[in-house]
Amino acid sequence: MSDETEVMIGLETHVQLDTDTKLLCGCENEQDSDPNTNVCPTCLGHPGAKPRLNEKVIEEALKLAEALDCDVNEDVFFSRKTYFYPDMSKNFQTTQFELPVAENGNFEISLEDQDIDIGIKRIHIEEDPAKLDHVGGDISNSDYTLVDYNRAGTPLLEIVTKPDFTSPQEAREYLQQLERVLEYLEIYFSDTEFSIKSDANVSIDGGNRVEVKNITGTKEVEKALSFEISRQKQMTARGGEVEQETRSFNSDMGSTTSMRKKETEEDYGYIFEPDLTRQELDEERKSAASEKVPELPRQKFSRFKEEYGIADKLIESLISVPAMADDFENLAEEHEPELVASWMTGELKKTLNYNEVSYEESGVKTEWIEYVLELLEEDKISDRNAEQLLRDLVEEPRGPEEIVEQEDLLKAEDDEVDQVVEQVIEDNPDAVEDYNSGEEGAINFLVGQVMRQSGGKADPNTAREKILDRLEG
Amino acid sequence: MSLEKIVEGESEVDEKDFLQQLKAADEKLGFMREIVEPEENGNGELNGVPVVLKDAICVENVTTSAGSNIIEDYSPVFDATVVERLKDAGAKIYGKTNQDEFGFGTFSTNCAFQTPKNPHDETRVVGGSSGGAGAIVAAMDSPIISIGESTGGSITNPASYNGVVGLTPTYGRVSRYGLISYANSLDKIGVLSKNVYGAAKGLEVIAGEDGKDQTTVDKKVPEFSDLEKTENLKIGIPKQYENLEGIEEGVRENFEESLETLEGLGAEIERVDMPLLSADYSVAAYYVLAMSEASTNLAKFSGMRYGMEKDPEEFDGYNEYFSAVRTEGFGEEAKRRVLLGTYTRMAGYRDEYYIKAAEVRQKIINQFKDAFEEYDVLVAPSMPNIAPKIDEAESMKPSEVYAMDTLTVGPNLAGVPMISVPNGKSEGMPTGLHIIGDHFDEETILDLAYTYEEKRGESQ
Repeated sequence: MSDETEVMIGLETHVQLDTDTKLLCGCENEQDSDPNTNVCPTCLGHPGAKPRLNEKVIEEALKLAEALDCDVNEDVFFSRKTYFYPDMSKNFQTTQFELPVAENGNFEISLEDQDIDIGIKRIHIEEDPAKLDHVGGDISNSDYTLVDYNRAGTPLLEIVTKPDFTSPQEAREYLQQLERVLEYLEIYFSDTEFSIKSDANVSIDGGNRVEVKNITGTKEVEKALSFEISRQKQMTARGGEVEQETRSFNSDMGSTTSMRKKETEEDYGYIFEPDLTRQELDEERKSAASEKVPELPRQKFSRFKEEYGIADKLIESLISVPAMADDFENLAEEHEPELVASWMTGELKKTLNYNEVSYEESGVKTEWIEYVLELLEEDKISDRNAEQLLRDLVEEPRGPEEIVEQEDLLKAEDDEVDQVVEQVIEDNPDAVEDYNSGEEGAINFLVGQVMRQSGGKADPNTAREKILDRLEG
Repeated sequence: MSLEKIVEGESEVDEKDFLQQLKAADEKLGFMREIVEPEENGNGELNGVPVVLKDAICVENVTTSAGSNIIEDYSPVFDATVVERLKDAGAKIYGKTNQDEFGFGTFSTNCAFQTPKNPHDETRVVGGSSGGAGAIVAAMDSPIISIGESTGGSITNPASYNGVVGLTPTYGRVSRYGLISYANSLDKIGVLSKNVYGAAKGLEVIAGEDGKDQTTVDKKVPEFSDLEKTENLKIGIPKQYENLEGIEEGVRENFEESLETLEGLGAEIERVDMPLLSADYSVAAYYVLAMSEASTNLAKFSGMRYGMEKDPEEFDGYNEYFSAVRTEGFGEEAKRRVLLGTYTRMAGYRDEYYIKAAEVRQKIINQFKDAFEEYDVLVAPSMPNIAPKIDEAESMKPSEVYAMDTLTVGPNLAGVPMISVPNGKSEGMPTGLHIIGDHFDEETILDLAYTYEEKRGESQ
């Protein structure tokens, strides 16, 4: 097997939108509620019920179209895609067929300092079907299956790329950077019940194309594609031919299994959805939507690099949390950017992650962070205690002044340190002896003792100087 | 007793009496799917007015089967918007009327429950698909507002066969929320009544924009029942309708008499060439579009959420299960339309059928728009024949039945409003005059129908 195998991958990604209501009815768009509680005659497909379009979804699609540099089609209409499946009460899905809301876009991603252009074929709007709960197993061996219609009608944006990926890493990077863009647009949030799912089309060396379905999230795609590519390579190495088929990715096994062999394209018998009127997207609506598109991650990255001159890693970490990036900019006006960035992305983020709480939801206020920064700048707190302070702010949010007071975190005053130094020298004659006989390392032991006895309040450098003064003097 | 008097509070319908008469007439003719005792509703302009609805229109907690076995026991949890509006206006709802299964038919002989008989001659059909809705108006002495629905002519047809007035409004004038869809881009809820006033009053109450149906139009609803005599209109007769082969002699004579009456009202009548109204185009385009849409609407009746249930254990898989449910649940015509409608939208055929039919439809709309540049209204016979005998109707080939719709599918495809008014009898059976108007110009056709109705009344 050579490394020169030519790999072609295209992705079709479904993003569940975090709208207040569903795509075609007024039900709350909330999947985690008790099963079948966010339902109405329309999303249950009752005979006689009719759909009505949630206009917000169009706006969100337009925002994404702008972010992915797509052409927006002026004419918006929907189609019925008919197939019989137990998760669809109507047995047709409302989707877009002939004309998607947007097409011909481009998304630039970076991987290992390289910029790669991924062509976007189309973005279209559709409804999610209900959720099937296979009780006691999976689809092939469960005892029975329950249907939860809370998900029926959740708005989806399907983003179809050109077959522009040449490795599983690129596909993963694309999904992760796409996810970040969606979060910037505030149409999808990764820490909610909503999810991103992808199907991948993979072929090697111009061979038959295999579709891999059922890839959830943004990281699994690498695993799924790596497996599938090596399966195809082994197949050809053994002299076999890769069959055109649809395979399903099993996350637990990390492998793909055949769903159906080279069949003819499924026939969905599309017709126009006659219950939803055609509408034209005029310039006003388009520009209203694009005004809501904020500075996107890649632009922000370049600007931060230029404006603040801090390390790429710090920028990456900051922009992965839009709110943190905004607060950083406010704080960097008054404080050293490097200092601000390293504290925000360091101990603060670590603690947030450890406690599984998002920056926005943590309740940590910008003023609090600023207070910590000021203490550091004025040399009133040791790094160790500043870390402690940030942890406390996340774990038990309250004013930092109070914490500092209660836990006595500030650096000791000079005479206080002098006393401790005096005491330590008195208590450790052996170490003093060692130092005096030329063993310079003994000083470290003494500094450590001062630190310990002062409860971390002493600044290690000050302590060292004072000990030296005392011993030399 | 006239409807106008009831609306104006000058006379009242005795509920018990009415119910008794309704049951007796239904016993004989079988036009009701279900009779219910009316509830106390709101207070409004239809206080005490008896109303019935075509079976396909949802009434909360009243069996709504759209004439089909597959949802024989379906009891909606909500009222259709028209039902809500009728109830709010104080109307008394007495039940649901029989129809062809899902609206698939011309004679109401495709009803899963009963074939209603024509009040003028019990051996004859009532027309379709809102057949029960037409028959009840003719069968009852008391005035009634009967809510029907037309996809390709299903209001005009029974109005004509039963000798009553049938009004099909502009597409988008009346909310379809709560109507079990046949073909959504064509379905229009309308009114059948004894006279033009009843149709106008009924429309006035049910019309108007509805947030639950996006295809309704944000237009002020005129006071349709404020009818005015209208004279000196410029009237066109589509040549393709006047020259249609198969128009019965008696129908032709009555139509010519109607033209004389209209001329007596100062009308200027001209022939207008509308080539796409010939059966070759309009009937074909109509059936392709209607069946394509219908086949997707019927997909939900699969025994999963809707449709009869069977024991899943007896089947190898989901496909076998729902196929068995649909085989048993649907009638012959419904199955025919599902098959044809699925075929016409399949990849490879779709462009030749479904897309082409949509293009023809657009051209038909343009032809009507052009005609209404010249003429205030268009007129034609409502149906080419009188109501056929039930056994004759049942032995007709589907293509012969579809051809019966030639006079009505054109305006239905165009979504323009139309009204059928009785214009005489032939062999003892009623015939109708069809008046077709421009989009959202129900006022003109209502006023003309009213003027014609008055004039005809005077001469009899």
